[in-house]
Amino acid sequence: MASFDSSDSETLREQSNHKKRRKIGHHTAADHNSAAAAVPWRSDAEQRIYSRRLVEALRRTPLSPARPRAAGQVRETADRVLAVAARGRTRWSRAILARRRKLWTHHEKAKKAPRNGLKRTTERTNRLPAVQKKTRVLSRLVPGCQKISFPNLLEEAMDYISALEMQVRAMSAIAELLSAAEPRRPESPAAR
Amino acid sequence: MSSRRSRSRQSGASSEITDAQITDLVSKLQQLIPELRARRSDKVSASKVLQETCNYIKNLHREVDDLSDRLSELLANTDSNSAQAAIIRSLLM
Repeated sequence: MASFDSSDSETLREQSNHKKRRKIGHHTAADHNSAAAAVPWRSDAEQRIYSRRLVEALRRTPLSPARPRAAGQVRETADRVLAVAARGRTRWSRAILARRRKLWTHHEKAKKAPRNGLKRTTERTNRLPAVQKKTRVLSRLVPGCQKISFPNLLEEAMDYISALEMQVRAMSAIAELLSAAEPRRPESPAAR
Repeated sequence: MSSRRSRSRQSGASSEITDAQITDLVSKLQQLIPELRARRSDKVSASKVLQETCNYIKNLHREVDDLSDRLSELLANTDSNSAQAAIIRSLLM
């Protein structure tokens, strides 16, 4: 699989350039959802599309009879469909998609704390050990973000959070539909 | 591109990230965290924002895991009933 170029470091430098589609969000935008490049995770349409794709993908996946394994399969599928929805604009989404392609990623081998990227900030606060430690934890929670700069990490985290929230909303709604559809009586008429 | 990558490693003056930009990002992040949304940015430290961000992401992961488990069970039952599948599809469109 092609390696994805880490163009994230430029994001802040290009604050004055509004139309960089590859970057996530623009700092001049009021919030990520109104930025041209950001995925509108909060929109109903986005959630509907995701839900449909997720259900289609799940129906195509032969689920293991073992419940824990099946749950893992659902999780992986949900994450993958979510990553696809990100349209390649974020590091976290590309990292998720790369998971499947190589069972052993480079990150698996290099499980040490990130170095230069996260410490290289100008603000005094960000050099405090407490902040650095939490930054490291955060970098491990957002896929593929262990070695990026602090500002990029925050941007990725923001987009990732919005995406996760949509994922939760969508999966909850699907679960509700499926439990409502469970037959309590032998016949359950199809709703149209 | 590697040229952009190497530029970020230098403490270059032209590519410097300002404190104001960092503060701005941190306060934007704060707005996303339900725990912290109501509080004023100047009253919440960056450390706190990061802490709560980590907690929030962990919670979201947990929710997704629970939902995955629930869905795997529901789907196991659904597969055997195509009427349910039709309902799902029509309700999602």
